[in-house]
Amino acid sequence: MRRGAAIAAVVFALGASGVGAYQLAPAPAEETARWREIAWPFPRDGWSAGRAFRCDGACAGAELYLRAKRGFCNCDRGVADDDEVDRVADIDLISPRFAAVAPGEEVGIGAMHGRARRYDLDMPDGARHAAIGIAVSRRCDLFVAATQGRGEAGVMQRAALAFLETQEIKTWVMAALDGK
Amino acid sequence: MFRCVLTAAGLVLFACSTAAHAQKQTIGAPPEASNMKLVGASDLQARSAYQPTIHHQGDRWIAYIGHHGGTDDVPAPVNPMTGQAEPNGTSIVDVTDPARPKYLRHLPGQEGKYESGGAQMVRICDGKSLPKGDPNAVYMLRTFGSQAHEIWNVADPASPVLVTRIDGLKDTHKSWWECDTGIAFLVSGAPDWRTRRMTQVYDLSDPAHPQKIRDFGLPGQEPGSTGAVPTELHGPISTGPQGNRVYFGYGTNKGGILQIVDRDKLLNGPKEPTPDNLRYPEISRMPMSAFNGAHTTFPMLDMPVAEFAEDKDGKTRDIVMIVDEAILNECGEARQMVWFADVTTETRPMMISSYTVPEASGQFCRRGGRFGSHSANESMAPVYYKKMAFIAFFNAGVRALDIRDPYHPKEVGYFVPSITSATDKRCIPIEGGERCKVAIQTNNVETDDRGYVYIVDRANTGLHILELTGPARAAAGLPKT
Repeated sequence: MRRGAAIAAVVFALGASGVGAYQLAPAPAEETARWREIAWPFPRDGWSAGRAFRCDGACAGAELYLRAKRGFCNCDRGVADDDEVDRVADIDLISPRFAAVAPGEEVGIGAMHGRARRYDLDMPDGARHAAIGIAVSRRCDLFVAATQGRGEAGVMQRAALAFLETQEIKTWVMAALDGK
Repeated sequence: MFRCVLTAAGLVLFACSTAAHAQKQTIGAPPEASNMKLVGASDLQARSAYQPTIHHQGDRWIAYIGHHGGTDDVPAPVNPMTGQAEPNGTSIVDVTDPARPKYLRHLPGQEGKYESGGAQMVRICDGKSLPKGDPNAVYMLRTFGSQAHEIWNVADPASPVLVTRIDGLKDTHKSWWECDTGIAFLVSGAPDWRTRRMTQVYDLSDPAHPQKIRDFGLPGQEPGSTGAVPTELHGPISTGPQGNRVYFGYGTNKGGILQIVDRDKLLNGPKEPTPDNLRYPEISRMPMSAFNGAHTTFPMLDMPVAEFAEDKDGKTRDIVMIVDEAILNECGEARQMVWFADVTTETRPMMISSYTVPEASGQFCRRGGRFGSHSANESMAPVYYKKMAFIAFFNAGVRALDIRDPYHPKEVGYFVPSITSATDKRCIPIEGGERCKVAIQTNNVETDDRGYVYIVDRANTGLHILELTGPARAAAGLPKT
């Protein structure tokens, strides 16, 4: 009996510590990624500059670039296909040498819908990075995001999409699409 | 002192009321005009209009006018001639008497709104000019929304007959058709290309049997390529076998490119769309500012420039007029305008001058809708070619430019039509909703061999037929009216 109680106590203690360990363990990337704003790193082009962030959390080192693109001809069809993501998602700002690694997938940010696609990037310094391009539309306007880094693409994509769903970013996106 | 204050206050009030008047168009107000006069008009059944082409057909003059798709409010306007709701397509109007245009036929286009439907583009060739055409036919090449190019026999313009269709595309736009050879440069979206719009070169010398010659675009747009995708095509203009050049304009309101291509190498060179084969016919490429696109690239070759008449070299210049397209309402983008490039040394094209309507002359950024250029007349008939250009400038109407010295283009006339009850609103997003205004949106312009100027409205106001008056008429060398 005493032996059984001792075993139960050990099991309970281990279980409890297990629960504690689970609670203390790093949460999934989207919960622990911390995006710190940095300067917009690209030279002026035809679109207004956006906002840029660097990840300090689970996706450490990854960078995320966001901007509104007002004036998009596919008012009705929206971001219709993966080629559209290749063209508009600002991946070419990071490096003009990129190749999609797979077909894209549908994504939504708030009420906007579009597509996301993963790429391999040849960086100017010769390094290979993973990148994700995201493009969603609101009527005749686009919102695009591009994230890139040395990390695993899936982790970066989840972290980026979770960040895009934060109220702060959604509020800014709407304002940017309204031209403010 | 008190009198001075009163005078100053009065002047301020006057200035404010003038400004308010200038920035808002009202139904019933007269058109705004200088050296241009309204001759006649057609409401075009209140359909949003794109390219007009005016064709001398027997003893008649017929205007063929392409339309965008319908609007959210009216996806398919009712054709009063049939009583049916019809998706916007092509309006066919007899303008033999420009004071009394007679609407002959509406030929429906693809269902769909705005740029997703309609039949925007139209070109006309006589069967007798095409090498293998039916000499009794008159052929209309038009786009069918985003999905096809069509050729119709419009020998009887009131009863067009479909001849053939080139189908299965993801987009179309501003094509060019050489009537003496039948070669057509069709702005298409081939399904496997990475760009929405590229070129499909066809031999349409026998319109009933189109022969595809090749696909063409900028390296990076072709199937299977990777990396950055260059700016999409807007439209080409060919100088035919004699000139042996095709001038391609890429872009709308951003990242414009003028590309000069050797026509013979394009038609007869290697056709597989590899990067090398796409580069082969290119003579040069002039990237524009990221702020501006190239809707129209209109060549005017071998232009004598009076200022250079005494120079030992360079008395004549090859000029390309490049017209950007504004796309955002109420000046929500960089100014889209007109540029003149000297391409005499073809491998080193250089921008030499520009033109825009002064915004303050009509407070156009506050009038509503788009302000900026969209397109130019593309007729090369002697009446205006290399002398006068007409630019569609959205809410600033049409602008007549004296371009005899392309280094110093000069506005010599303008016409801003009155709005009507058909004129559609244009909106911008504001806090908690949107704000809309109604203003003319002159979208396209064309001229005929008689010198009449045809302007059409994107905001459903219809067609206005104009003529030059006063000094503008004299500058064009036209007889006094």
